[in-house]
Order: sequence, then structure tokens, then C-alpha cells
Amino acid sequence: MTIFSTGLEKQLNILDYALASFWRRKLKNLSVMIVFGAVIFLLASFQMVTRSLTETAADVLAAAPDITVQRLSAGRQESLPLAYRDRLAAIFGIRKVVPRIWGYLFDEGKGANYTIMGLDVAAMPGGEKLPQSLAAGRFPEPDETGGCVVGRSIVRIQGLESRRHFSLFRPDLSLKPFRVTGTFGAESAILTDDLIVTTLPEAADLFAIPAGLVTDLCVYVVNPREIDTIAKKIAARLPDSRVLTRSQILKTYQVVFGWRSGFASICLLTGLLAFIILAWDKASGLSPEERREIGILKVLGWETADILTIRFWEGCLIAALSYVLGVTAAYIHVVHFNAALFRPVMLGWSVLDPTFRLVPVLEAADLLLIFCLTVLPYLAATVVPAWRCAIVPADSAIRGG
Amino acid sequence: MFLNSWSLGLTISALAVLILGGVAGRTALRVLRHWDPASDSNRQIRLEGETWLAATLVEYVLGFQIATLILFVLAADQFCRVIVGAMCATGALLANGYGMPALAVKVVGVFLYGFWIVLHRLDITSESYPLVRAKYIYLLGLLPLLLLDATLQTLYIAGLKPDIITSCCGVVFAAAGEQTGNLLANLDHATLLTLFYATAGLLAGAALLLRRRRPAPLVIAAALGWLWFFVLALVTVTVVFSSYIYAMPYHRCPFCILKPEYHYIGLAIYTALIVAAFAGITAALVHPLGRRDDLAEAVQRYQERAARLSLIFLLLFIALASYHWLVYIFLGGEQ
Amino acid sequence: MESGCLNLSTGQPGLIELAGVCKIYNQGRPNEVQALTNIDLTVEAGNMVCLRGASGSGKSTLLSIIGCVFPPTSGRAAIAGKQLVRLPDRFLTLHRRRAIGFIFQQFNILPALTVLDNITLPLLPLGVAPGERKARARALMASLSIGHRERFPANQISGGELQRVAIARALINEPPIILADEPTAHLDSRLSLEFMAIMAELKTAGKTIVIASHDTLVTEHPAVERIIDIRDGRIHVS
Repeated sequence: MTIFSTGLEKQLNILDYALASFWRRKLKNLSVMIVFGAVIFLLASFQMVTRSLTETAADVLAAAPDITVQRLSAGRQESLPLAYRDRLAAIFGIRKVVPRIWGYLFDEGKGANYTIMGLDVAAMPGGEKLPQSLAAGRFPEPDETGGCVVGRSIVRIQGLESRRHFSLFRPDLSLKPFRVTGTFGAESAILTDDLIVTTLPEAADLFAIPAGLVTDLCVYVVNPREIDTIAKKIAARLPDSRVLTRSQILKTYQVVFGWRSGFASICLLTGLLAFIILAWDKASGLSPEERREIGILKVLGWETADILTIRFWEGCLIAALSYVLGVTAAYIHVVHFNAALFRPVMLGWSVLDPTFRLVPVLEAADLLLIFCLTVLPYLAATVVPAWRCAIVPADSAIRGG
Repeated sequence: MFLNSWSLGLTISALAVLILGGVAGRTALRVLRHWDPASDSNRQIRLEGETWLAATLVEYVLGFQIATLILFVLAADQFCRVIVGAMCATGALLANGYGMPALAVKVVGVFLYGFWIVLHRLDITSESYPLVRAKYIYLLGLLPLLLLDATLQTLYIAGLKPDIITSCCGVVFAAAGEQTGNLLANLDHATLLTLFYATAGLLAGAALLLRRRRPAPLVIAAALGWLWFFVLALVTVTVVFSSYIYAMPYHRCPFCILKPEYHYIGLAIYTALIVAAFAGITAALVHPLGRRDDLAEAVQRYQERAARLSLIFLLLFIALASYHWLVYIFLGGEQ
Repeated sequence: MESGCLNLSTGQPGLIELAGVCKIYNQGRPNEVQALTNIDLTVEAGNMVCLRGASGSGKSTLLSIIGCVFPPTSGRAAIAGKQLVRLPDRFLTLHRRRAIGFIFQQFNILPALTVLDNITLPLLPLGVAPGERKARARALMASLSIGHRERFPANQISGGELQRVAIARALINEPPIILADEPTAHLDSRLSLEFMAIMAELKTAGKTIVIASHDTLVTEHPAVERIIDIRDGRIHVS
């Protein structure tokens, strides 16, 4: 008898028997699979949504400025004098500094919060390519009055499908008229759905910001490897400023999405735990017929290890089917139903819930993660019950007499 | 940084492994205290049944640990996105002092759990179960390793702070003179490659010889050779071969080759290496057992199979690892 | 009378050899039970013997030991050349799967499986390929005239056919020893005689057969060479 004489043929035979055994108990197995599949579905959905959001954010943030400079006073953000731009001129390695006004406007009538951004789009490096991100139209010229580009949610809320003009209230409740020159496309929806981009003077007018002040400076550098070095220099020159690099912003998104996902996962873990207990219970119950069956197999020459193998294959089958079911359902949920169940958790801070489509991202790493979160605990929970089945003694089949 | 799916996945897996290990340890203690093969008592019958549980549990532990080893590296790759300064998994693992040790313990663990299974399979070929005591003492010795693994992993995750600057693989693995703070500096490619292929050749030759005859000195030399080669191979893959796989001279990272953009070739490379090394080392480790009459035949068969396995996977490993480098040498540039 | 050595051999080793065999359940505990005491028994190859004893006499225990289901507590037991004492369960099973064919009291057929699957059960852990399994099963079914029931679920065939399925299953792994535990308990006289006829044929073919029964149709059958009475865990020579 060779050391690994389990032999392929024997394993296939046992697998054959396990499949038949699984099928014979299909109702019981099906109930376990449905619950398991539901748990996997929930966890997989979260994982996919998180991944999808972070990937989308990364793609879109690629166009963000390398460094953003804002001014802090008493720990709060304040307007920044345009003159600070000159203080940065001396730093070697800066390609361009583009001033920007970036604020939020609450539209009481519609109950929605808009993001307003005023800047000279053409002044941004690569700015000549930006119009390609528009679904229609063009960015306003620097001296154009009232021209703006709006996101899709704004179009919907302000009823701009059929008209181009709308107005917003200034702080003194006077109306400022705007004319739509372009709309953002669906690809950038995660960042632009509630966004209105206009010129710097128009944004200043809307927020009644005095001339010579902006909210931040967008800094573009020559060598991307120097971003951190230059950021440090800027911070040194402008001590009352907050200097943010693009990678920091991206990491923040990642951490927040990851945090939210992790938090939700913990909530789902209670569901997983309940399932594990159910699985243990189901696996442990050995009916008299099952006991008899194992006793007969044992007498006929099946070893304890062989019975364990039957149970192992049955467990694998349940896990595999539940896994495929859960992950497929999650994929459909995220792609076709736009993760309808979980969006409030992941994206919940905006009143204007973006109506963008989630780009499905599913890597093998995610599949392994979901596997480790769900299948491994299940297999661990069923191993002792499986063993208890396997040690049913052979002489239990020879009774009476 | 526990509030994160990857950390949760790793923690849950570690927990599952600890539970399984604990139950196996309980069996080990009972067997060591009460095992009496001559006895016909209920307890002996129960213990015999429990040995099957212990064996199954260790097999599960091995399977789980292999899955979590891969998950650990992939998780580090995810963590690198939120740790400032980390460009890839290497930087994430170096973010605190626990990352690399945790990885090392996991890799070593795979070998040690696997060896228990080899011992078990040998033991059950003999009617007298000659290795029972040794096996379960060894099992008890594995428990601290499981605990160490889980502890290092937990400390690593707990110690991850998303805003701490760390090194990245370009810095860590770049040759001296380009950037400071490198780990594997001053390693000449030519020397490494010569050592690499020479050792591989010797091991292949040894494997061929060991299929027929197994004099003790050759066996010991082969085992030591495999240990040396395992470390050498990891270094060579990192310093030389990886940059050809990435087609980037300054990207020298042993982990990014596991990613989908490189067709997961790292998985194939490391699997081949680990299987080859495992077969090679264990073939030598079981040699002393071959002197026992009741195990001689089983040990001999295992050594033959292991020698063959180590040869096949060694060749596979060499082919996979060298492929991109050779393509570059002969065909030049990116294809 | 107390048991003596019932070795009728001509000096050749028997296929079943028990000497001084004892079996104690729950040894060392308050509910300790001595099921067998000092059993000496030898059965030559190609013989058919009958074990006769009431419920609780130790008959099942003796059958289990002969059937390599568990080892004796003490004494020597050699079945088909293999010593059983101190043999771990694994090796008992490995030996049992090649050496013994069982026919149970209630046949112990799995009702949810087909006739074919029931018959080939012992071949699965031996690693026999599906094609060969089917071939062997069909040959046996043909010789027992149940070939037409191949695909029927076992719970849809008659008692007589079930009996033949049980016999086929016991023979599929070509064991030298057949053990039957009260095989005629739920059969009418016609089927009982049919059963014994088949056993007689197997004996002629060289099988060693041990039947535990107190059915007179069995004990008084001409093919049975010897009757062994068991009472209170001891063999009584009659």
C-alpha cells in the first residue's frame, strides 16, 4: 500500500457517492445553501461596491490638481488672498497656479445642496482636453457672464432638459441668473452630478466674495515625483495654509470607503455568525437513517477517513454552490440594480443622491477575500460535526442477536 | 486599521485557524496521556477515532493557512493605497515592524503543517502506528506557531496608521546609488544568477540520484541545499526576475507579480517553488524514519515520489521565473 | 458441556482460527460486560458452519469478531490469515473490505439507492472504476436472476429480490468468507430454502460460510457441516 494510495479513482468514487448523497438530502442542503448564499451575497455586494467606488474615484481624481492650497483660520477654512499666488512663484518646480472658488449652495426651494466651482478651465494644464468630459456643450469663456456647466442631477432638479436658464440666490437673496453652456457626462458622475462649474468672477459674485479673494489655489507641478517636496515648501511659505496633495485626497476616499465597507461588514458578520451556528446545527443532526447508512458503509469496508471525505465533499459542494450563487447575485445587484440595497450606507452624505452607474470591478483578490470571509468559517464549523458522523461504529449495523 | 474588509477577512481566518488548532491540540494532549494500543477500552477506541479528527484539522489548518498567506499579501496591496508613501505591498508590509515577520511565519508555517501531514500519512501505513507520540508532540509544538502567526498579523493590522510615511519597493529594492534606504543593496545580478542556476542544477542532479539510491550524506546535502535555494530563489526573483516581469528596471518587488496585470504569474512561480522545496526538504527529513522496519517501505516510496516531484516543480519554477528575463535577453525589449 | 477445541483440521491452518478469545465491553467501568469467554473455534476453508444462540448469548459479538469489525480483548484470532489482536480499526477495515462479505438480518440495503448502486457499494473505497463495477455487478445479478432490477430503487423490489441483492453485495468484492446474520428471519420457507441453495452453491465454489441462525431450515440443511451453540458467551459442544 503506497503512502498516498488514496488514489484518484477512489477519490472520484467517493465524490460520486457524495454527490448522490447531497442530492438525496437536497431539501436540507438547499435550505442551508439559500441562507449561505444570502450571507455571501451581502458581503460580496459590499466588497464590490467599495471596490467600484474607489476605482471610480481614483479614475476621476486623476484630473484633480496635484496640490490644493487652502487657508485655515482658527481651524476653519477661510478665503485666500489671490496675492498668495505670488509667494509661490519663487518655488522651483511649480508649473502653474490656478485660483479657484469652491463652495456649496443650499437651494431651499428644491431642498438640494449644489457644489459651485469657479475657475478658468482653460488655464488648467490639460484644460484643453477637459471639454471632452462633457456630455454636451462647452465650458464658459473666462469673461462670459452667467455661463456654466452643470451636472446631471442639476439638470434634473432645475428642469433644464428643455431650457437653458436658471437662477440661484445670492446671500442677500438677490437672484443671480445662469445660462447652461454644457452638461457633464455620466462617466464623472460621482464627482460632478451636483456640480456647477462657472467662471471665477461669476462664482465670486454668487457667493458675494470680495474681489481679490479665492477659496483655494490649484497647484500643478512639473515633476510628479516632487509633489510632496513642493507641498512641504508651500506649507513653509504659507504657514496659515492647508496644503493637500492629490494622493492624500485619494487615500482619504479610500479610507472612508474602506471604513464604511468595514463597518457594514461588521454588521453583516452577525449574520455570518448566525449562519455558522445554523450550519453547525444542521451538520450535527444525525438521523437514525443516516446513522444506519454510515454503519452499513463501515461494515462494507469504508474507513472513517472515507466517510470524512464524503462529508468534506458535501460541504465543499454546498459552499461552492452558495458561493457562486451569492457572488453572481451580488454582481447582478451591483451592476443591474446599482447596488440599490446599500447605496445609502456607502454614499449617504449627499442629498442629491448621484444617479450614476457603478462600474463593476471584480478582481480575483476580491473573490479570495469573500471566500475567506465566508467559506472558511463554514468549513471550520462543519468539520467537527462531519467527524462525529464518521466515527459511527461499524457494529451499529450488526445489532440484535 | 481593523475596520476594513481585508483586515476582517484576515482576522476571521486567523480565528478559525486558532479554533481548529485548539481542538487538535486537545486531541494531542489526550492521546499523549492515554494512548495504549494494546488496550481494548472504550477510551482507546475513542482516541483512535479522535486521531482522525486531529489529522483532518491539521489538513484544514494547512489549507486555511495557504489561503490566508495569499490573502495577506493581497491585503497588503490594498493597504498600500491608504498608507502614505507605500507604492505597493512591500511598502505596506514594511509600514511597521510586524508585517514581514508575519509573512515569514506564515510561509514557514506552510512547510511545518505540511510536514505533519507527511508524518501522519507515513504513520498510518504501519499497523503499530509507530509515530503516534512523536506526531502529537510535534502537533503541540505547532500550536505556539499558530498563535504567533495570529498575534503578528493582529499587531501588524493594529499598527497600520494610514498617515505614516513608509518605504516603497522602488526604494527598498533598488540598487545602491539610486536611492537610500535599500534592503537588498549591492547584489550583483551576474553573481546572483550564477548562484541561482548552479544551485538549481545541483539540486536537479541530486533529485535524479535520490530517485535510485539515498546515501545519508547526499540526503542531508540535498536538504540543506533546498533550504539555501529557497531563500536564494526568493532573493533572485525579487532582485532580478521581477523587474523583467514588470518591464521596469526600478520596480523590484516580490509581491506585485501576484496581481492580475501580470496574469498572476507570481502565484504559479511561488507555488512551484514552495512545492519543489517542500518535496525536497521533506524527502530528507523522513530519511531517519526509513531505518524502522515498519516504515521502511512507506518511507522509501515517499522519498521516490518526493524526489520526482521536487525535480518536476524545480524545472517548472526555473522556467516560469526565467521566462521574461530570457525573452528580454534574446528578443530584447517589451514584446 | 464446556467448550473444547473444535479443530477438525488435518493440521492445516484454518481460514477462521480463534483460540482463547474473550471480549469485554466497557472494560474497567461499572457497566463492564463479558460478552465472550474463552472461545476456541476453527473453520476450514470451504466449510459451512452455523452459529446458534439466543439473543444476548454473544452470537453477534462472535460474528463481529469473525467479521473483523472489532478485535477481541484477548486471545488469538486469525481471520483469512490476518491476526486481529491489537490491530487498529483502520487495518481491520482494510482487511474486512477484502476478506468478508456480510449478509444482514434486515439485509441493510440502502433504500434510496438503486439495486446496482447497493451492490457496488463495497467496491467504491477500493478504487474500482465505474465500468468495471458495473460489469462485475451485472455478472452477479445475472447469476442470481435479478439483472432486470438493475435500475430499480431498492425500496421497490420484493423480499426475495432484496435477499438476492444482499447476497450479490456480499459477493461483489470476491471475499473468501461470507457471514450471514439471521438471513432467513424475515423470509418464508420457500425463500429460505432458495437462500440455502445459493449458500450451498457458494460453498461448493470454495467460500467459507458462517451463518448465525436458529431457523431449523438452516440448521438442518445438509450443506451445514457443523452447528456451534453459544450460550452465555461460551461455546457448548452439542
